[in-house]
Amino acid sequence: MNRISKPLLQLAEAVAAFMMAAMFATFILQVVIRYTARIVWIPDTFPWLEPSNFGWTLEFCLALWLWLVFWGNAFVVRDQDHVSFDILYFAVPDRVRRGFIIVTGLAIGIGLLLSIDPTWDRFKILRLKKTATLSDLFGDWIRMRDVYAIYILFLIAVPARYFWRVWQAFRSSMSEPQHTSEGRLDE
Amino acid sequence: MSLAFLLCLVVLFVIAAMGAPIAYAIIVGSFVYLAASGQSIGVAGKVLVDGLFQSFILLAVPLFIVAANIMNAGTISDRLLRFCIALVGRFRGGLGHVNILASLVFSGMSGSAVADAAGIGKIIIEMMTKSGHYTRGYAAAITAASATIGPIIPPSIPMVLYALVSNSSIGFLFLGGILPGLLIGLVLMLLNGWISHRRKFALEEPIALAEVPKLTFEAFPALLMPAILLYGIYGGVTTPTEAAAVAALYALILSAVFYRALKLSTFYSILVSSARSSASVGIVIGGALILNYIVASENIPNLVAQALVGLDVSPLTFLLSVNVLILLLGCVLDASTIILVIIPLFLPACRELGIDLVHFGVVAVVNCMIGLITPPYGILLFVINAVTGIPLVEIIREIWLFLAVLVFALLLLILFPGITLFLPQLFGYAG
Amino acid sequence: QDKITLRMSTPASDSDQRSISLATVFGPAVEGFATYEPHYNASLVAQGSELEAISAGDLEMSIASAQELATFFPEFSIFATGYVHQDAAHQVKVFNDPLMDPFKKKVEDELGVKLLAVMYLGRRHVNLRFPRSEKNVMTPADLAGVNLRMPGSDAWQFLGKALGANPTPMAFTEVYTALQTGSVDGQDNPLPTVVDAKFYEVTKQISLTSHLVDLNYIAFSKAVWDKLTPDQQAAVQKAAEDAAENGRQAQLKKEEDLVAFLKDKGLEIYEPDLKAFREHVQAQYVGSSFAAAWPEGVLEKINALGN
Ligand code: NA
Ligand code: NA
Repeated sequence: MNRISKPLLQLAEAVAAFMMAAMFATFILQVVIRYTARIVWIPDTFPWLEPSNFGWTLEFCLALWLWLVFWGNAFVVRDQDHVSFDILYFAVPDRVRRGFIIVTGLAIGIGLLLSIDPTWDRFKILRLKKTATLSDLFGDWIRMRDVYAIYILFLIAVPARYFWRVWQAFRSSMSEPQHTSEGRLDE
Repeated sequence: MSLAFLLCLVVLFVIAAMGAPIAYAIIVGSFVYLAASGQSIGVAGKVLVDGLFQSFILLAVPLFIVAANIMNAGTISDRLLRFCIALVGRFRGGLGHVNILASLVFSGMSGSAVADAAGIGKIIIEMMTKSGHYTRGYAAAITAASATIGPIIPPSIPMVLYALVSNSSIGFLFLGGILPGLLIGLVLMLLNGWISHRRKFALEEPIALAEVPKLTFEAFPALLMPAILLYGIYGGVTTPTEAAAVAALYALILSAVFYRALKLSTFYSILVSSARSSASVGIVIGGALILNYIVASENIPNLVAQALVGLDVSPLTFLLSVNVLILLLGCVLDASTIILVIIPLFLPACRELGIDLVHFGVVAVVNCMIGLITPPYGILLFVINAVTGIPLVEIIREIWLFLAVLVFALLLLILFPGITLFLPQLFGYAG
Repeated sequence: QDKITLRMSTPASDSDQRSISLATVFGPAVEGFATYEPHYNASLVAQGSELEAISAGDLEMSIASAQELATFFPEFSIFATGYVHQDAAHQVKVFNDPLMDPFKKKVEDELGVKLLAVMYLGRRHVNLRFPRSEKNVMTPADLAGVNLRMPGSDAWQFLGKALGANPTPMAFTEVYTALQTGSVDGQDNPLPTVVDAKFYEVTKQISLTSHLVDLNYIAFSKAVWDKLTPDQQAAVQKAAEDAAENGRQAQLKKEEDLVAFLKDKGLEIYEPDLKAFREHVQAQYVGSSFAAAWPEGVLEKINALGN
């Protein structure tokens, strides 16, 4: 199991790191372009630095953010990285905690799976909807449906993870619970 | 309140209480709401994705996370610390003052309290305990208390989240946080001075004055960062969101080029861990967007407005009661959860009562930051416990006085909106 | 029989003229058989997602822009093109002309959305932070090097460029601060928006370019429409037209009144060389990818309906 899953996990992390780096770089590019546009000789000398060639930066960052969130939660975020209320979870005995894992895991897993079809129903019409600027970057084929599709992957991957966890709880082979801490930089 | 909404809340709270991620509890709760009110459960996903894809200001969150991670990985924190020691280390309770001053300076670069505690905080706790003048509980407690300043002085991730749910301007929120942050630094220093005298903490070996210029020179590029950020935002070079990227780039250049303390492999793991924390906060933001949909769909803002007309509550009574409630919730909930899930419930009432949303936002963020150190659930306590191994009981035993002065500062901010609003108004805020 | 609920979602605020007209004219007119339930500030459905929400049956009504429709059907970009519509009356003529039928039919067939009436949004002008003495905007050449904030889509950016400026995309909520600090040099919106968003506090001049006579459509769910009786359908149609007319008159009056208000606030308001702007902008669209999507002959028909 570990021999297959570890490289896959590392690959998932690498993809997330790449998206993070791309977002960072694109933002810097956007600032640089805005700034150089004011220095008149720059766009005159390097016409490709024209701000109008970089209208896509904002929407591209938004798309990266979307993919980062759903790709991340599907494959990279660990249980202890999640924002959660864990006072009760830590206070109860092991047996009850296993019960918690099974109940919540099934609720999340089944809920998300059931929502795949009706969600896709809402995304289908987006095959017609153009993005505001991304075709400048990717070509004319890209539609909003393609940008949103990552959410469907999330709806498949997360239930799989939770069912695996429920299975482990059944066999009582879970690892020690851990407080959410250093990883959280949002507060 | 409809039956569907009630069912949604019950499911949400039960699943969340059992330890499921808040975001997933909200998503499952929203499925129950949608199904019970005759809507398609596919709406939840659409609302979630639409909201995340549109909220341009949210992009500041991952970028500030990257910036904080880079600063902690490079030697920026160490250099700042040595500079602070040179400045205030010679007074009684010196390292305590250093701790607070370092947090103040660091808060001008980072938007996260956890980053402060886990980075610069960890180093200074070691220094304080090694000096032998402080108990490790005191060192940890003052670190936790001063780390709360991080997201109060700009930049600030919690303020970005608040701007998202309240539709207020990040620029003015950031400005509004500066004086309150300095005020908190001041009351903490006064408390530290008072305790140091009472407990007769021994004096530190002062750093020779001849060393000060060199230490200042070394720390200078790092000290420039808050200035660059503020100039970037208020001087019109960048939007607040872009400022986050500039902060990250500046930290990267400092660590990698100037201080030569950042390896490529470290940078890679920074990207991975930043992606991980961004994704985990991103999904909570998504949950908040779904809750917003439910609240709108239930027409709750109108109901609140009608209820308030009959009640005749004064704005001050309202502010005080909401703050007591947030303080209590802060004992058991995350700041992100409170800002994204609880605060939006009060915003319609604030608008109705004519409470300024920038003032309310800054007060709420300060309150939530106090929640980071209130037991039993205080993420700063956990982080410090995790990175230093100091037992939680010892930290909590020393935290109470710090909590008391922080609450006192909060009260001042509630009673005197001018402290918060002075700077925004100076820059043209009309509210 | 239970009343139907007509949920309407819009990014506009409750004090916006469009919101007021729908709430005071449309809502009461359909009261007999429907409850009109407006949601403002995009609180229910995210801005720009209303049409697909109606299409999926998650929403009944919205106020849709031509730009939004153009993301689904590129030919709608003609109604978001600079200097195509001449004034409010011209918009109504175009909307009611048979030339509009294929447009309406496509939206109905493919999205399940009916376009009931056209609402007048106002004339967009160029609003800059420089005093006129520093930048006198008479022709497109005078906008060279000016960072003009425009909404972030290609169509808007194209229009900004066609005006001769450097279009800069930026979220609307950040525009005030950006104007104040100089992140951008100006923005383009109708006068009521300049007043609502208090842009007059941080800008010095408005050049009345009228580069876009902007419009919205009242969008209505086809599925809901098909369930109404013919009488009810007629009532909904009339209510929409009346609300649009009410809003149009109010907005026109507001635009007229606000000139004095803005002058009082110290802004310099003046008319540029409109011919120079019109010719320059129209020339930019010739041969563009936008124009390629316009059905043959429509532009000529629109022009023929004008003065
Ligand atoms: Na900060
Ligand atoms: Na707490």
